[in-house]
Amino acid sequence: MTGNLSRRSFLKSTAAAGLSCAAELGGIARAPAAETINFATWSAAVDTVKSHLAAFEAKTGIKVNYSNLPWAQYRETMITKFVGNAPIDTLWVSDSWLPEWADAGWLVPIDQYQTLTAYNADASDFCNQSMIYKGKQYGLTYYTDYMGFIYDKELLQKAGIASPPTTWAEVADQAKTVKSKGLSEWPVLVSMAQETWLIEFLSAMVFSHGGRFVDDNGNAVMQDGGARSALRWLVDAVHKHKILSPSCVETGELAGLKTFSSGQHAFGLIPKYRLRTLNDPSQSQIAGRAMLALMPQGESGSHATVGWMRFYGMTPRAQADATRAENTVKLIEWFGGKADGEYKFQKLLFKDVGAAFGVKSLFNDPEMREVYKAYGNVDLIEKQQALARKKDVISPWFGEWNDINGAAWQQAVLGKVTPDQALKTSAAKWAELKKQS
Amino acid sequence: MIATPVRPRRLWSQRLGRTLVLWSASLAFLVYVLAPVAWLFSSSFQTEREIVSKPPHWIPHQPTLQNFAAIFAAKDRSVTYETRRAADPATGGYIPSTAASLVPAIGNSLIVACAVVVLNLLVGVPAAYAMAKIQFRGRPVSIYAILATRVIPDIALVVPFFLFIRNLGLLDSLWSLIITYLAVTVPFSVFILVSYFESLPDELDKAARVDGCSRLQTLTRVYLPLSLPSVVAVMLFAFLASWNEFLLALMFTQTPKSQTLPIIVASFTSDFTISFSFINAAGVIAVIPPVILAVAFERYIVSGLTTGAVKG
Amino acid sequence: MTASASLAHRLTRTQRLSYDERRAYLFLIPLAAVLMGVAVFPVLYSFYISLYSLKLTRPQRVPFVWFDNYIAVLSDPQFWSAVERTVIFSVIAVAAILILALFVALFLNEEFWGRRVLSALLLIPWAIPYVANALMWKWIYDSNYGALNGVLYQLDFINTYMVWLGDSDKTLALIANAFVWKEVPLAAILLLVGLKTIPADLYAAAKVDGANIVKRFFHVTLPALAPSFALVLIYETMMAIRHFDLFFILTEGGPGDASHVVAWRIYVETFRNLSFGTGAAMSYILALATLALSYFVIRALAQRVAT
Repeated sequence: MTGNLSRRSFLKSTAAAGLSCAAELGGIARAPAAETINFATWSAAVDTVKSHLAAFEAKTGIKVNYSNLPWAQYRETMITKFVGNAPIDTLWVSDSWLPEWADAGWLVPIDQYQTLTAYNADASDFCNQSMIYKGKQYGLTYYTDYMGFIYDKELLQKAGIASPPTTWAEVADQAKTVKSKGLSEWPVLVSMAQETWLIEFLSAMVFSHGGRFVDDNGNAVMQDGGARSALRWLVDAVHKHKILSPSCVETGELAGLKTFSSGQHAFGLIPKYRLRTLNDPSQSQIAGRAMLALMPQGESGSHATVGWMRFYGMTPRAQADATRAENTVKLIEWFGGKADGEYKFQKLLFKDVGAAFGVKSLFNDPEMREVYKAYGNVDLIEKQQALARKKDVISPWFGEWNDINGAAWQQAVLGKVTPDQALKTSAAKWAELKKQS
Repeated sequence: MIATPVRPRRLWSQRLGRTLVLWSASLAFLVYVLAPVAWLFSSSFQTEREIVSKPPHWIPHQPTLQNFAAIFAAKDRSVTYETRRAADPATGGYIPSTAASLVPAIGNSLIVACAVVVLNLLVGVPAAYAMAKIQFRGRPVSIYAILATRVIPDIALVVPFFLFIRNLGLLDSLWSLIITYLAVTVPFSVFILVSYFESLPDELDKAARVDGCSRLQTLTRVYLPLSLPSVVAVMLFAFLASWNEFLLALMFTQTPKSQTLPIIVASFTSDFTISFSFINAAGVIAVIPPVILAVAFERYIVSGLTTGAVKG
Repeated sequence: MTASASLAHRLTRTQRLSYDERRAYLFLIPLAAVLMGVAVFPVLYSFYISLYSLKLTRPQRVPFVWFDNYIAVLSDPQFWSAVERTVIFSVIAVAAILILALFVALFLNEEFWGRRVLSALLLIPWAIPYVANALMWKWIYDSNYGALNGVLYQLDFINTYMVWLGDSDKTLALIANAFVWKEVPLAAILLLVGLKTIPADLYAAAKVDGANIVKRFFHVTLPALAPSFALVLIYETMMAIRHFDLFFILTEGGPGDASHVVAWRIYVETFRNLSFGTGAAMSYILALATLALSYFVIRALAQRVAT
């Protein structure tokens, strides 16, 4: 009898302990962070962001929970977070994902916040247009840039080449010369790893060959024209001329930056803002040698390149609560607009990382022009900027198509399928996804 | 029968041949098992500058503890406009902000693993006793039914489970991990325990019942003390399985609050900005606890696997 | 026995059985609850989801589509390529595991000084988390700084560093290698157990019959090992078919889609394309296939062992 009683009471107390424990843990999981704003970014300019945040917290007393993830898997990781209801209030977003994320309800328009929309007047059209979807604006510009064609001045000199190439055919010839002189094993760098950067590299190739992925009506045209010559050039570079390493499908943008900065390549498709890093003696072994040239043109192509912009988005979670919305808007303005009366973050970002601003008035700022001169030819940079075009594949189904397209291009470069087959696969997927939406 | 024939010379050369074979096999075995791990350790003690040498330095020329220091001392230093580092993370030996989550992640892994072990015993021991010693309808089929639940791939469990937990709002809590790990580990635990219980004589059971023990008391006072080896084996398997699990943790945890060690370590490998030596150091940290446990308790692990096979 | 006495006897007997059965079910309830809730329920729920077109990028509209998802998956050539890759990977991996584990088991079965130490060391690959294993091999296979390149280069087998994981011809084999390295210990232990159960008289009898080492191996050892072999075969095949961790960390399904196996496809479809309907259908198909496979194999082996 007594044995039974004590066992029962023991069980009861364990059950009670277990339940309270569960409640505790459950409570911890669900306690809303009313005071803290959650700011998610990718890991670029981390210290710059941190320093600006410290100033924000000092001025407004609002605590910010700042987290960063690798850019290479940013979309996938963020989607898992959205779907998993992870707490995020404001975040960096790429122009490519705006339709997809807006349709899924993960981003909210910010048109109602006058303090933010007031900055539109001073922002470049390219930036403003990229943030508008279905007539609503979804954020403030973080930065904007384009894909640059960068060459190593010294390697060209040593190879006896007088001036950088202006066409892709010349790139192949000059690369072969560099290789034959033993100056570089793989003179051309194009990072083709399946990651967030890939679409920018591919778009640059396609645009400069005079092609497009998709026409103005949203129908796939990638199986003809410039895209074909672009992919063919890449395949020939790997297999025929042997100027591009087959490991390019494994090389991401950052890995490429590392190898370029150690002087292993003569030519590279590299985001223009990386010039700052490449010409910094404390970060690069080829400081002073990295030069921008106009994007080479393909047959019936032009010097066009791809331009992109990234912006600060706001989530429904932030908007749901009035105080949180207000604080989030303040944070977005502090970073994407003016802080203490000046475009502080944009200037810092530009000075530290070279990331270009979308603010019109800063172009004429003498301090900014001085910074540019330190590592690049300002006029050339502006000239290429004028030829930068927006990606044509931005759509609600971009994410899914992008995976298929990237894999198809990789397959072609690896020689597993012909370029035509790869582009057909990609076009078919685009058509299928467009129909389904 | 006939006495063993004595052939000294043949015996000597046979022994030599056998020794040679065993020595070369031992060497091959050691290289196969240890070389990859040794390289992991070696890399974790190298600086970023050294680790990118061609060909690699097998033994660090300038061994350093800075990678481990970075993990354990990863505190957020306050950054102001004056103290900020302008260098791009891509080019430096970048220690990511998630490094600070590594030690809490170890804590999470530990909590989850211990909870799973305890629950495994609470749920598995009575069930195994019942299946081994009590006659009830459905007994012959039960063990197969239980093992059959493990045939389903984890990825097939994740999809529905993720939606279900999400709708309950329990994502990002350790409980989702504990319950799923329990379901994943308990079939094997029960299997080990049943095999061991079955090998214990039934007479003990009857003797205890004659003495007036209830079923529960028979279990706790008679069988449990006798089956300590298999209980230890169950604890080890459950602990290691929980510690090493990746896919379910990937799905059910969102923030460092509930992320376990494998998730944090995995997040480093995909980030190219992070120094290779740091990633290797994180790997070493992930490897040490389970390896120590496994090697120390090797006897129980092997006997846990062999129970029933030898006796049954 | 009188009629009433036998009735009473039967009653007490059923009463005792009832007590036993009650206790048995009581002890089994927690286990059943856990397994029902976490193993059986998801399978049913997954089937339910697979009948809808549930896309989380389009949360407002979730139409009921009967078996459209299944048809879409089964008629998708990419799905079948993934199946093909899964089969290739599994065959390579399981074959390598069986061969290596056999060697290790035979080796550790011998009596020699240091055997205990080596047996303990054998557990190291098994104990390592899959994530750490993946990280370790990813670093070894690295095209620019990896140990594999370093070793081959220093031994003069290659002149320049080669691409490993990025070479789609090698990808599956390399991932299989990492998988095999981790699985061999468990397989070896299971085979070792089987070796130890072989009675010494069988060997003695064979020796008397004049069989040498090789003949003894083929006529005594291998047949006696058949059940253990079968167990390892089934278990490792199950593990290989469903394996995910290495594919996630080493290659993320790449390069191109060289390592796009079914487990990876399910992950991409569900958590990147956010199409939970087709993802559920795919995982259901995978689950059914694994169940069927294990059922048939076990039945065939049970018949074999019985004879």
